[in-house]
Amino acid sequence: MAGDRRRIQGPEVTVAPIIIKSSDKGKIQLTDANGQRRDGRNLEDIRPIFLKTGLISQANGSAYIELRRTKIACGVYGPRQTKIPSFSGKGNLNCEIKFTPFSCLKRRQPYRDAQEKELSQLVFEALAPSIRLDLLPKSTIDIYISVLENDGMASCFAAAITCASVAVADAGIEMLDQVAACSASYIDGDIYMDSDLVEEQRESGSLVLSYMPSLNEVTHILQSGEVEVSLTTQAIEQCTDTCSKIYSVMNHSLLESVKNRIQ
Amino acid sequence: MNTKNIVTPGQRLGFAQDYVAGPGTYVRGNLLYASVVGMKRVSKQTAEGETLVLTVSREKQQSAIPEVCSLVSKVIRITPKEAVVSIMVVDNSPCKEDFQGIIRQQDVRATERDKVKIHESFRPGDIIRAEVISLGDARSYYLSTAKNELGVIYAQSIEGAAMIPISWQEMQCTKTKAIELRKCAKPF
Amino acid sequence: MGNVTNENIINLNTAITFEAETFRRIQPEEYLRRYIQQHVRPDGRSFNHFRKTTVNLSCITTADGSSMVRIGNTTVICGIKAEVSEPNVNFPKEGYLVPNVDLSPICSPRFKPGPPSEQAQVLSENLNKLLKNSKVIDLETLCIEEGKAAWVLFADLVCVNYDGNVFDACVIALMSALMNVRLPEAVYEDGIVKATEEKTIILGLIRITYSASFAMFDGQHLLVDPNEMEESITKDGITVVVDETGKLCNIWKTGSSCSSEQLKTCISKARDRYADITSIIEIAKQAIKKIE
Repeated sequence: MAGDRRRIQGPEVTVAPIIIKSSDKGKIQLTDANGQRRDGRNLEDIRPIFLKTGLISQANGSAYIELRRTKIACGVYGPRQTKIPSFSGKGNLNCEIKFTPFSCLKRRQPYRDAQEKELSQLVFEALAPSIRLDLLPKSTIDIYISVLENDGMASCFAAAITCASVAVADAGIEMLDQVAACSASYIDGDIYMDSDLVEEQRESGSLVLSYMPSLNEVTHILQSGEVEVSLTTQAIEQCTDTCSKIYSVMNHSLLESVKNRIQ
Repeated sequence: MNTKNIVTPGQRLGFAQDYVAGPGTYVRGNLLYASVVGMKRVSKQTAEGETLVLTVSREKQQSAIPEVCSLVSKVIRITPKEAVVSIMVVDNSPCKEDFQGIIRQQDVRATERDKVKIHESFRPGDIIRAEVISLGDARSYYLSTAKNELGVIYAQSIEGAAMIPISWQEMQCTKTKAIELRKCAKPF
Repeated sequence: MGNVTNENIINLNTAITFEAETFRRIQPEEYLRRYIQQHVRPDGRSFNHFRKTTVNLSCITTADGSSMVRIGNTTVICGIKAEVSEPNVNFPKEGYLVPNVDLSPICSPRFKPGPPSEQAQVLSENLNKLLKNSKVIDLETLCIEEGKAAWVLFADLVCVNYDGNVFDACVIALMSALMNVRLPEAVYEDGIVKATEEKTIILGLIRITYSASFAMFDGQHLLVDPNEMEESITKDGITVVVDETGKLCNIWKTGSSCSSEQLKTCISKARDRYADITSIIEIAKQAIKKIE
């Protein structure tokens, strides 16, 4: 994108320096003898979730989620006037996910790339069934998600869905249920829940499940890589269980925000 | 305040046969669910026998969207056929962002509709009170000012001073005493 | 301030009453004027009061230096990524520092997705000018091998919440993130740059500058640190940038004229503000030291 006059330009070609490893560690051991992962979790544990609503004062609804190093902010705008010139008796939902240039190991270009477009579409698919768009004729809901730090793509995507769903609820938009999402990685025949970047580099496949716990309905499922059917079934089961746990965190943060506002 | 009554979207509130689903709730299968974050309330409705209505009142209001009710808007531009306005307040709650509306020539007043001239009714910059009459076309809501209490509520004269209504179709500049034509709202 | 907010405000010229919120939406200028006449601002601050400012260093671990700054509700995150490139042929000993501001649609309803808005371009350009003209950093320290390789510091500033005075937040975020940068030791060998795993090198900053912004209402009332609403209503603004010795680095003045007394007041307030920001950043530095 040389010659984009709308941004301050650096030199045309830049590369990340080659890092010399001071000691040759070889292959990192993902689990220790007790079956615990590098950060002390068991295989089926997820990272602790910090979730807070209402941090973006300009938005109608907002939420911020943190899973150790993964950090995501989400702002919901709307219902506002639809700009598309066609009549629709149903509301429009527009999702956009953006990685900040400093969010990944390698610097990302500031303009929207194919991966962001794909993820935006997936977030839309996961959230659309939960929102009562039929009550909002001629209006649009815009969901903007900004990934501030990314520690594992699949878990980041799942966290973005969870975060966006809480932000929609915070905006006071009518919905059927909140969507909780979580990810699992298949590594050497084991299921690692909510894997981080180092674990993700070793996975043979992954699963992201979006689920409405109260209605017991799955809104979206994304399976990639080569894996046995039995393992997938097991992973789906584990993910739905974990989603129910995440759901209670989501409810808790919404209740907290209400309590704070009453006081 | 009792924090036990705060519910979140998706929370089960009871069986569908026991209650009538009010605002902020919905029925799926034989269960009643909350659809917004807010306070759960049960009220009695005695229209047809004893029925209990369950509502969830939003604790944080959704940004207002135009519906059939009175609203306040600002005139953006006028054409011989219609006035284009941006809707700023819906039923006393301000919208975060403007919605576009149109007042067509035939909707300005209730009588002598064929004699209405838009430029003798509104000018760009006027603040008017109007009513939504339909969802309109792809872009705009259709509004009407065909009632006594609807019409211009605040306007500036050519001089830039505020004007006061002196009849239902005339306003007077407070500075130069010049009279300009408007479709005024009856103060109430 | 209660006497203004809780009553219904009567529009003097017609006998129609509005609620305060409605009045604010329809006639924002008049709304602000009513407050100013009572020597208070809509959010309860006095004219000279800056909003609460906090700085959080090293908040992004994927960046080589990072900082999150909050001024009231306004939030800006600056992340600096270091990459390697060939120096410019005209300046073979110099590296690069590339600041870019992103006013993403997440931070305010007024921004739409897509390429940077005009406002974001102005912010980026102003920051770049400030870095260059005030010589904040000696670019020669970023050189790895003369004419062959040098560091490129991409400083990306992302606004997460836009509630006015974003420029001040950007300057603080950029300066504190630059202080927070840790670079690895790098050597140039046969066309490739090799770097150590440990990041130890701290940037040498020559001159640290902070800004203070003001809004002018009706040509006479000077509002310090304007929020989004005040910024959108007032047409006139002044931004003063000073360094640690109190020397002026930059003044931006938009809108109509202002008297030299007003400008002097702005400069002295900017100097006071400088001391405040220095202590806030000192606290932030202590906080990360404790964690380490």
